[in-house]
Amino acid sequence: MSRKEIQAKIDNPFLRKALKNFAAAYPVARAKAFEGLDFEALRQRIAARKAENLHVLPDLVKRFRTSAEALDAVVHLCRTPEDAKRTIFEIMQAKGADFLVKSKSMTSEEIELNHYLEARGMRCLETDLGEWIIQLAGERPSHMVMPAIHKNRDDVAALFSKATGRDCPSDIPALVEIARQTLRSGFLEGQVGMSGANVAIADNGTLVLLTNEGNARLVTTLPQTHIALVGIDKIVPNLEQALDIVEILPKNATGQKITSYVSFIQGSTGEPGRELHIVLLDNGRSALAADPDFAQALQCVKCGACANVCPIYEIVGGHVFGYIYVGGIGLVLTPFFHGLENADEILKLCIGCRKCNEVCAAAIDIEGLIVDLRDRIKKPFGQKFLFGTLMKNRKLFHTTLRAAYLAQKPFQSSGGRIRHLPLILDRETANRSLPPIAEKPFRDLIAERKASGPKSGEKVLFYSGCLADFVYPEMCLDTVTSLESLGYQVTFPQAQSCCGIPARYSGEMEVARDLARINLDVLLAEEADYVVTICPTCTMSLTHDYPKLLAGEPEWLKKAEVLKAKTFNFAELAARKIPSIPPLTKRGVKGISVTYHDACHLKRGCGVWQQPRDVLKELAGVEVQEMGDCDKCCGFGGSYSIKYPEISQEVLKNKLEKIVATGVETVAVDCPGCKLQIEGGLEAAGYTVRVEHSATLVARQGRNQK
Amino acid sequence: MVNKFIAAAEAVSAVVTRCQTTEQATVCLAQLAQGDAVAVTHFPDQLQELIAPLPRVAPEALATTRLTISHAAAGIAATGSLLLDLPDPIERSATALATVHAVVLDAEHIVPDLNALAPRLQELLGSGQSYLSLTTGPSRTADIERVLTIGVHGAKELRIILLEGRL
Repeated sequence: MSRKEIQAKIDNPFLRKALKNFAAAYPVARAKAFEGLDFEALRQRIAARKAENLHVLPDLVKRFRTSAEALDAVVHLCRTPEDAKRTIFEIMQAKGADFLVKSKSMTSEEIELNHYLEARGMRCLETDLGEWIIQLAGERPSHMVMPAIHKNRDDVAALFSKATGRDCPSDIPALVEIARQTLRSGFLEGQVGMSGANVAIADNGTLVLLTNEGNARLVTTLPQTHIALVGIDKIVPNLEQALDIVEILPKNATGQKITSYVSFIQGSTGEPGRELHIVLLDNGRSALAADPDFAQALQCVKCGACANVCPIYEIVGGHVFGYIYVGGIGLVLTPFFHGLENADEILKLCIGCRKCNEVCAAAIDIEGLIVDLRDRIKKPFGQKFLFGTLMKNRKLFHTTLRAAYLAQKPFQSSGGRIRHLPLILDRETANRSLPPIAEKPFRDLIAERKASGPKSGEKVLFYSGCLADFVYPEMCLDTVTSLESLGYQVTFPQAQSCCGIPARYSGEMEVARDLARINLDVLLAEEADYVVTICPTCTMSLTHDYPKLLAGEPEWLKKAEVLKAKTFNFAELAARKIPSIPPLTKRGVKGISVTYHDACHLKRGCGVWQQPRDVLKELAGVEVQEMGDCDKCCGFGGSYSIKYPEISQEVLKNKLEKIVATGVETVAVDCPGCKLQIEGGLEAAGYTVRVEHSATLVARQGRNQK
Repeated sequence: MVNKFIAAAEAVSAVVTRCQTTEQATVCLAQLAQGDAVAVTHFPDQLQELIAPLPRVAPEALATTRLTISHAAAGIAATGSLLLDLPDPIERSATALATVHAVVLDAEHIVPDLNALAPRLQELLGSGQSYLSLTTGPSRTADIERVLTIGVHGAKELRIILLEGRL
């Protein structure tokens, strides 16, 4: 994705406002639509059944075909987009037809049908209002459910004026009425009608279609011939499974309890002469269904929720964040449907916040699949030296970081922070100051420190992570102090190395594997009850990624499982001690309250969000005043903020707005990356709000108690 | 359950008229027709009297009919939805093209939610060709600036004539 394209989206005020308003309105509408329903149970059921279906996909296709043919439908199984397009062309030719009237079909976008038919002298008319707008503009949809979300009323008025030859006002109800009047003749004159299908039922050959406008009922009813273009992943065995999807789809897509129309279509219906052709499209789906690593991507019901909650989509929209299918799942499906060459660039745009996983109607690990795809593509985009040589060699890596302490000196301002980097790197510091690399890393401080902790009690190995070690040594010391004050014995294994996440996120899996083996040896060499981290991304790496990375090596896998079982975040270990320690005698400085920012990898990566709040209240003695969107990404994403500083900074601005609105003086976090990002943003914008790791607040309260 | 149905239907801009007697329903439909010829879809025998007095449009005038009246096989309380069983394309197009769609629903046929409707759907989908439409409120779009606008391709008004207290 070119910087220019990204910047153009960032600089488009209407797009930004539209996406921001939607991002704010969607969660509210969605929550209301799901009232009284158990979303988690529903989506887990859908996920489990869809996963089963994928195992027997060829059989489902066969069963659907038999049932549909028994109802008089003609079923065409097409392996490639080319097959599908030719089939549709031939059906029209056989009918002597040259005018196709369409309701919304993402699958038709997938095979770029209109272009094919128009090149052969046929006319296609999109009748879904959003699709028609896009068709008139000659663009692609920027959202699966709201294709024209990037167009404003003035754009639409101009397009309609051109299409109708009369002056159309920039008034939404008037524009909708113009669409009604203009498209009506299309329904009446179209010789062939085309729809997609949201679900197809194998048992009884039914196509299920969800629409709000009513155009699908018209295109499947008025023309004598109906062509339904359906991806084979839409087939479910029975009505029960279809109804689960009808239940979840509109709620997750637009926050509606149900769409205005849900149609169940069986056969051509009516007098002789009517025909129903069902074009079943494979286009890589069979291969994907048989791929053990990525098959779950096909569980998707195409609700678009992954885009609705994505902080990056909110900044740049679907023309940047996706190809034909947009949003998180769009990134995953593109390499399978449209080839690696179209996916390579967009796969880098995910910041890894896992917000999409939280809302996915089919419980797909979208973020995990995106990371794994970067590996699959085998086109690492990190710098060869950085990952190939530097990071694998701990001593060299750490020596380089120490050297950086000296190199950065000329750029430090009086307060010690870095505000301007030279030339090309300057984009990085435009809206965020950077903390300097510390003169003495934590690994040196702790080696010099006199042991003062308890001599007995549960033993904890402290895995600091590179950022905290070299940039925030004080945060590490506070971690040790506060854990010791809670009765833990803490030691820091000096031979620990980078957790491997930067390599893994950049598609350098071999380097990530090497680092995993190094850290496993180091962290399992010493007897300990727990391993504690203060960086949730490191936690995820140690617990989730190591077993996955080393799955093919039984000896290492065993070690990875042992480490996984005893690794926890600071807040988790600290919270365990709340019941056993005496209540605080002195609360924090009177009236002090903090707001809490949930780190993406802590909340959605580790499922930890309550413990940090308990720790702040019971161990740090402060009140927590919640901010809006407290669990939305801050825009850091590790190397993401260096690769895409423009996007990262816009995501950060949204976060700063929410923080400042609370009026508190301190933001508590449990992640050194979030601290770096938010602190830098606040400082560059001139705010005095401080950002502290929970461990620091607990340690400070400990000193206050003395 | 009836109250829940009404609240849900009204929440999506449908207009519900509760009728305790056949006569009330007949009057209500006549008022909606305003003396114009109307399109009518299949009605069960015992409800024919509701629509008997109304003048009908010629089949070729369907595309410009203002009012189409149909009968719902069931209703869903949770969403205010109506289940229309319309296998005939001519009848179906009448419901899809009209500006006003009036649907007669027997309150006894309201079920709590989509799940509870499954057996009825299964039955209707088990006997050869069919075309069922769950209809919830009038046609709507939010495709321009996400502003909710009623009546894009389908009915601009959805009227529900709810028959209660009949045996």
